[in-house]
Amino acid sequence: MRLVWWLATVVAIGLVSIILSHQGTTDPVRNLSLTVTSPLQGGLRDIASPIDDFFAGVTDRGSLVRENERLREELERYKVQATQRQDAEQRARDLEAALGVRQSRPGDQLVVANVIAQEPSGVKREVAIDRGQSDGLDEGMVVLSRGGSLIGTISRVYKDFAWVRLVTDPNSAVNAQVDPAAPAPAQDSGSQQVLTPGTPAPQASPTPSPATPTPSPSSNPQGDAVRGVAEGDLRNGLVLDLLPADAPVKPGDLVVTSGLGGNYPRALFIGSIKEIEERPQAPFKTASVEPATGLADLDTVLVLVSFKPARLSGP
Amino acid sequence: MRYIVAAVVVWLLALLDVSAMPYLKVLGVTPDFVLIFAASWAVVRGQNESLVIVPLAGFLRDLPTSDPLGTSVLAFIPVVLLASAVRLRALDSQFLPTVAVVLGGSVAYGVMAALVLSATGQSIDWLHAILRVIAPLALVNALFAPIVYLPLHWLAPAPSPGILGPRRVTSPL
Repeated sequence: MRLVWWLATVVAIGLVSIILSHQGTTDPVRNLSLTVTSPLQGGLRDIASPIDDFFAGVTDRGSLVRENERLREELERYKVQATQRQDAEQRARDLEAALGVRQSRPGDQLVVANVIAQEPSGVKREVAIDRGQSDGLDEGMVVLSRGGSLIGTISRVYKDFAWVRLVTDPNSAVNAQVDPAAPAPAQDSGSQQVLTPGTPAPQASPTPSPATPTPSPSSNPQGDAVRGVAEGDLRNGLVLDLLPADAPVKPGDLVVTSGLGGNYPRALFIGSIKEIEERPQAPFKTASVEPATGLADLDTVLVLVSFKPARLSGP
Repeated sequence: MRYIVAAVVVWLLALLDVSAMPYLKVLGVTPDFVLIFAASWAVVRGQNESLVIVPLAGFLRDLPTSDPLGTSVLAFIPVVLLASAVRLRALDSQFLPTVAVVLGGSVAYGVMAALVLSATGQSIDWLHAILRVIAPLALVNALFAPIVYLPLHWLAPAPSPGILGPRRVTSPL
């Protein structure tokens, strides 16, 4: 009988807590908890990172992994620049043709944040960052990697902390496009610098250069971008779905945000196509996407506070 | 005093789960030390203590995660019920019952947590959640159970002679 009473009490407490939590009533408690624990969590992450490197391989494998990570970030920045440049050139051409005006991209304002925790449950892909409402963050804001590629959006924001839903989370869906005319990564001296954690500071995005576009062999005859939806997936990590069956995409093509829907800016680099899955008679095909940045060991991210997603600026 | 110690240990394990453990992936998942601790405590220390410690562990586990607060309080309930069930059986060792409760509790936890997330508006791909998260998590938690069970077992008070009799040779586990 005592067990029955206990069961009823715990179920009631659990349900009430979930409802209150869903309404945001418990946010101050969680903010306080993260405030108290974030230094300890940071320390544990710092300790775990080299241990992870050690278990990843033999003696100097850790430094190779770090160097590989650095080179990947560098390559990612080049790809971001290439896609931004190509998109800007395309837009400029379109606008010049249609309106006779030139389009310039405004400087993006970014807030630097440290990752302090990762969601441990396997059914979600989220990380906690040490910036919140007091830093100007709001739910739905776009989050970028240090190299400038898209990694997710703010899913929950507290006073001093926020949770970021990664693009690989099953609840994430981003309107994307495959850039069929994306040039090879440019060796541009004006690359973005890798940002380090610090006070929130406005950062200007690299200004697109007026270089002549260089179509790659993957260009389709029309030169149109192929649109789809980049969705998180527990099996493949990130997949590009709803691609037209006759879309001329191939492994290695770059995937960027299309800007449709207004929740993401145009031409944010997401990743590159890894594998294409085609089924006979199916009206669409699917491609697995290799995210531009390693999402498993993020340490610093950038929140794009100057861009207001449609879901925030709506009525 | 033992409740305070248990709460502090659970809190530290909850922090470990969200900070350091994501670096350690086995079968694509990370071991859940809070769940292993709750299951081990419930088997080793008995029902009276588990009625307090297990819900407390659930609450403390949710604090540093993005799950709605109370999710693990609900999802840990089967741990108490399973532990009560295995303690009814007269076994020489508490180790195998602990592993069984960790296994069953992990599956029940995964299903309950997914149900709560589903009810709060998250989309759950059940097939992949079961095959790629819940089943591997149960195996990995069972694999890591000795790390938590053994210290708890050594620190537990000596069991009083039970129905098996005081002269019976029992397993060191």
